Amino acid sequence: MKWFINSMIGYWILLLAISLGAAAVVYEVWLRGNI
Amino acid sequence: MFDFAIAGIQAPLFLLILTGFTVGIVGGFIGVGGGYMVTPALIVFGFPGYMASGIDMTHIAGKGVVSTIRHRQLGNIDWVLGLAMIGGTMLGVEQGVRLLTWTKELGLSGIVLLTASVVIMLVLFVYTQIETAQAHKKMTKMAQEGEKVGRELTVSKGPAFFQRIPLFPIVRCRTAKIVVSMWVIVVVGIVTGILAGFLGVGGGFIRVPALIYIVGASTHIAVGTDLLEIAVSGGYGALRHSMMGNVDMIAVLFMIVGAMFGAQFGSIATAYVRGPAIRYILSYSLVLACVGAFLRLIYMMTGQKYEILSFFAVVFTLGEMLFLCLFIISLVYFSVRYTNGKNVPDWVPALVVAKK
Repeated sequence: MKWFINSMIGYWILLLAISLGAAAVVYEVWLRGNI
Repeated sequence: MFDFAIAGIQAPLFLLILTGFTVGIVGGFIGVGGGYMVTPALIVFGFPGYMASGIDMTHIAGKGVVSTIRHRQLGNIDWVLGLAMIGGTMLGVEQGVRLLTWTKELGLSGIVLLTASVVIMLVLFVYTQIETAQAHKKMTKMAQEGEKVGRELTVSKGPAFFQRIPLFPIVRCRTAKIVVSMWVIVVVGIVTGILAGFLGVGGGFIRVPALIYIVGASTHIAVGTDLLEIAVSGGYGALRHSMMGNVDMIAVLFMIVGAMFGAQFGSIATAYVRGPAIRYILSYSLVLACVGAFLRLIYMMTGQKYEILSFFAVVFTLGEMLFLCLFIISLVYFSVRYTNGKNVPDWVPALVVAKK
């Protein structure tokens, strides 16, 4: 976990994973029917 | 879900406000309107394509005004530079729209647009990322050797070349502290305007790098001055879209509720960071938007058969806005920690300013 904060690339990956995960949840819960 | 009568659809209200807020933060920070993120997101929410563009452009106009006012207070706007670029951009956008109409008549517009978007964003990402990483490394080394590190450092040779072009009239941009031929500014405006008009976007993600790497403005000045441009061109675009019936004002109002706060925060956040931090966020937004556009391109080229591609394209479009927003908030958080003498990761001090 420390690598994900102390390294810039690791922090990038951590935030991207959180963001894409949240986006996938939002899509599944609220938006699936619109596509 | 909220019933948008003009658009004729129901859409999740909190997502509209959240989109306005997150793209407001990003736009106020890196000097873009965010249309390349918002328009696909609005289509995903259920708005028809033409209305997504109209709503996006209108909300960008409002958000642009808020950001411009805040950046003016921060001293990030060069009026000479901004007004000279506006003239060139307006000319360029008109030509870009004609080019788009020509590709539409050839029946190629969808694929050509997406391919052009992917190529342009990829080229800008590669250049910005490499230059910023080199500037970041140099700043880190200067800090370790005890040298004073200023708010800005670029390693690009472009500005030195273009500022030496001796075409009359030469203008002195006092706030940006550059002396350059007016023709360089106008031509940059025309070329970026053509690209923006062709791609149907505000063009901030092209103009900000152009202002930094060709004209030679600092990143903060490039961001503030471009937002002035966006407020003007967004206002014109909003007027045209409204006249064509492409705007659901209720949707715009909800987006602006979020954008009002987001744009303020994003603009103020620039005062907590150095130039390379802003350029990093710009390059990340380019690469993520590029991936999203590439996935949509592959989905279209495979005859819309593979739903998984559409799913990933949507998730990337929504996730990108959240990612950039989280990164910007992190930079402000690390800046505050650094100012208070607390531990921060090693890559942070060269990117943030210790605000006293």
